[in-house]
Amino acid sequence: MISEMNFFERIIYILQSYGMSYLAGAGTTLAIAIVATIIGCLIGFAAGVVQTIPLNLDRDSKVKVFLIKAVQTFLHMYVELFRGTPMIVQAVFIYYGLAQIWGIQLGMWQAAFLVVSVNTGAYMAESVRGGIISVDPGQMEGAKSIGMNHVQSMMNVILPQAFRNILPQIGNNLIINIKDTSVLSVISIVDLFFVHKSVSGALYTYFESASIVMLIYLTMTVSVSRLLRLFEKYLDGSDNYELANHMDIGNQMNKKRL
Amino acid sequence: MTPILELSHLEKSFGNHVILRDINFKVNAKDVISVIGASGSGKSTMLRCINLLEIPSGGEILFHGNPILDRKNDIPDYRTKVGMVFQNFNLFSNMSVLENCMVGQIKVLKRSKEEAKIKAMHFLEKVEMEPFINAKPRQLSGGQKQRVAIARALSMEPELLLFDEPTSALDPLMVGEVLSVMKTLAREGLTMIVVTHEMSFARDVSNYVVYMDDGYIIEEGSPDKLFNNPNQEKTKKFLATILS
Ligand SMILES: Nc1ncnc2c1ncn2[C@@H]1O[C@H](COP(=O)(O)OP(=O)(O)OP(=O)(O)O)[C@@H](O)[C@H]1O
Ligand SMILES: [Mg+2]
Repeated sequence: MISEMNFFERIIYILQSYGMSYLAGAGTTLAIAIVATIIGCLIGFAAGVVQTIPLNLDRDSKVKVFLIKAVQTFLHMYVELFRGTPMIVQAVFIYYGLAQIWGIQLGMWQAAFLVVSVNTGAYMAESVRGGIISVDPGQMEGAKSIGMNHVQSMMNVILPQAFRNILPQIGNNLIINIKDTSVLSVISIVDLFFVHKSVSGALYTYFESASIVMLIYLTMTVSVSRLLRLFEKYLDGSDNYELANHMDIGNQMNKKRL
Repeated sequence: MTPILELSHLEKSFGNHVILRDINFKVNAKDVISVIGASGSGKSTMLRCINLLEIPSGGEILFHGNPILDRKNDIPDYRTKVGMVFQNFNLFSNMSVLENCMVGQIKVLKRSKEEAKIKAMHFLEKVEMEPFINAKPRQLSGGQKQRVAIARALSMEPELLLFDEPTSALDPLMVGEVLSVMKTLAREGLTMIVVTHEMSFARDVSNYVVYMDDGYIIEEGSPDKLFNNPNQEKTKKFLATILS
């Protein structure tokens, strides 16, 4: 009987009976966290880009200025709303609220992805805006000076640099999301934390189950942060460069030696 | 013949701080115009107005006789014809040397990759930076960066190239390599306006010199006239300090 086992025997027993459930829960957690972080980043980039559109009151038409200002105000409110309230409340609010007020019955999965994405988007919007602003203004002037319009300058010059600058924050958000999806158990998402609650509820093994779950969360977050480090290194390229050789340069090199 | 560029009664103020007042001058093909003057006299602002990085508050800029301050004017298209080289290079730090010189050709001029690469290599050879095509800007010295920046601007094959103190951020040792590139370009007939503190360049390379003081052009003419026979007391004083 489980009450007669020691700590390790209990862990082994739990893993033998529920190991697959923990893994499935971890898979769900990871899937929601990764997908929602990606969608959140897309929202964040879109919002950050709109919030940094330069307005030229002399040249731009009044309609354009008004529209952009309206969207910017809306985005500002969105950011404040989702940064300023707990995700656990947002989950309940959206899942039950949409159904009750507008009659939209979201599946719990849709609600889960929606809540985490929109929440991440609010944080990323601010990060992206900051990332764009912190790129040296000279980069934008360089882009303009060769005739790029605003969109081309953003796509080719500013956003790649902003992306690199905020990559650590994207990683941070991913890690936060891996942990915070645990609140989705309020709308019955069977994630890692939900499995823990079920198992420990059934066996009264709170400490043992928590130990297992802690270890799984930690494994996921540490792996993610390692992978992101590698990705950063990859993006930065090597520290040195190769001098181009004859083949690349053509016959010019015959004249010069380097 | 209409000049390439003509500024007439150009004015610029930031708020109620007037920076440029009644600027008039013409740029003809193959002109090499040096703009000299004390710090804060408005040289950079004038150059930035020409490139529309600042929008002038008054006056006209005519490019081949067309008013470019007109609302309907396509600013990016104009900028492909009037390039700019900055004091701080402003190379794209997310791209290699070669990509810096190709991206504008591909995205803006819609040239094919192959054509863009051939052009980029041609101009990188001209500034002797072709061995460094794979380097990132952060891996280059100041003089090398500036030469790449010049190649990037040339890759767009502009009709007029603006230089804003291209050697001011460089160590004395590197000033020479950039100036010699600019001399070659001048000799080959590139039309340029150069804001500079290098009096030897203004005197020996340019064919016209403009002296600015407190937002006005107060003296202009051939290098010989400006350096050897200035009319204005202020010009004489400026030259005396800077040449001593
Ligand atoms: N964006 C701006 N807002 C307000 N004032 C500005 C701005 N840009 C320039 N100025 C002011 O305009 C004046 C002229 O500046 P500008 O940079 O054109 O001078 P400059 O002749 O290029 O000087 P330097 O030789 O130091 O480069 C300065 O007094 C400067 O403070
Ligand atoms: Mg200046």
